[in-house]
Amino acid sequence: MHIPDGFLSTPVWATLDVVSAPAVAWVARRAQRDTQDNRIPLLGVMGAFVFAAQMVNFPVGPGTSGHLVGGALLTVVLGPAAASLVLTAILVLQALIFQDGGVLALGANVFNMALAGVAAAYLANRLWAHASRSVAIFAAGALSVMTSACLALGQLLISGVPMTGGVLWASLGLFLISAIMEGAITVAAVRAIERLNPAWITPQPATSRAVAAIAMAALVLVVVGTLIASAAPDGIQRLTMQGVDSVGWRARTMAGLVGIAMIFALCYLGGKLKSRRRSA
Amino acid sequence: MHHLVIDRWSRGSSSLHQRDPRAKLAALLVFLVVLSTTRPGAQWAFVAYAVLLILTANLARLPILGLASRAALVLPFSATFALLTWWSGDSLRALALAEKSFLSGTAALLLVGTTPLTGWTAALESWRVPRMLILVIQFVYRYLFVIAEQVQRMRWAALCRGPKQRGFRLAAGLVGVLFARSWQRADGIYHAMLARGFRGRFVPAPPAPFRSSDALFLSTCLAGCLAIRMLL
Repeated sequence: MHIPDGFLSTPVWATLDVVSAPAVAWVARRAQRDTQDNRIPLLGVMGAFVFAAQMVNFPVGPGTSGHLVGGALLTVVLGPAAASLVLTAILVLQALIFQDGGVLALGANVFNMALAGVAAAYLANRLWAHASRSVAIFAAGALSVMTSACLALGQLLISGVPMTGGVLWASLGLFLISAIMEGAITVAAVRAIERLNPAWITPQPATSRAVAAIAMAALVLVVVGTLIASAAPDGIQRLTMQGVDSVGWRARTMAGLVGIAMIFALCYLGGKLKSRRRSA
Repeated sequence: MHHLVIDRWSRGSSSLHQRDPRAKLAALLVFLVVLSTTRPGAQWAFVAYAVLLILTANLARLPILGLASRAALVLPFSATFALLTWWSGDSLRALALAEKSFLSGTAALLLVGTTPLTGWTAALESWRVPRMLILVIQFVYRYLFVIAEQVQRMRWAALCRGPKQRGFRLAAGLVGVLFARSWQRADGIYHAMLARGFRGRFVPAPPAPFRSSDALFLSTCLAGCLAIRMLL
């Protein structure tokens, strides 16, 4: 699900970089506010834990095995802001050092996994927690994987990576299987952690169920909208692919550089606002 | 191991290692933007980018083959999509997909192969990336290999106790125990930090000045990338 560089068209990666940068700044501020000093090493070690836990395989069918993805587990254990921040840190390291996901595509990967994936896990956990804890955690795991995977697929399609109908359905089927596996392993892992020490599970910040339901609906709309937009390539693709192709390389390079400048400006403004708020 | 190699590379002393991390990070971004906007038809441009990367790796005295084999980690993913694209009849675009992802990976490796983690995180921090994120990145990297080795030992221990037992419950239990040990490790780390005078924040070293040689390096990279992009 990590998109490498070279796959997304310039408008897609630039837009997602511009969206993700201030979102990560916001998440970092939230996480800093909620986190006591002694949890700074904890967040880092939890990131390393997720990296390592992905090495634990379990058999799924004959000859295939699956592993934990970990976004939902972090969300349930650390709370959404901290989980988002830890996942972003992991994605940065994977992009630069492990060649897993691109540097320009970092915004897209952060958006899919660290922002939308964590939001899906958090909202699912919130919405169904009163019904049954296991169901809520299962839904958190499954929906976070499904959300990230569908968004990544939609972005690839919008960027003009061709996929035939058969391949599309096959990959959606694969996503569904890995989503169910992620739900099951998240439930089992949270149960194991709770048996060892119930105090390790951070109580989730309170959100009213109505707000959670509306946010969930918005998230579903974004995911479905991305897929629908990519399934109707005539409109979108003309806008992004051909439209930009005809503009020529100068404009496209400029668009990329302007995008980076905008990201920088947004981050800078965010930092200014933050420091002003702190001094006020 | 993979991590040790990149750490060892990054401690070199070539002229590229001595450049300011901010200049190298900016050069990487320029290269990636220019590469990402190259038309699939401009195959000579991709050759020129590869030559540019090889020259840079030479300057940094990094092994070309080692770099290439690490960057090749992206190829399984891109090859899958390249094949799909080929199938749909756009062979030029398929080739470009694989080339772009491979060259981007090599360029990113050139950055981390010539800049220690503290260098590029300091550059990110000077660009106003939230400090909290930088701290988490540094901690994740520091404990990544420690915990990965722990998982390896736990898997061997589980295999020794019951080689047939490889089910779902075992994996979940393993993750749970690994979590418990990680949590305790984090506690220990925090107390060790307190014992060494940690007061809630790190005091970063003052950043090195951005020298004229750094500016020269950045403008050379910019000129090289743009020249390739325009001429080929």
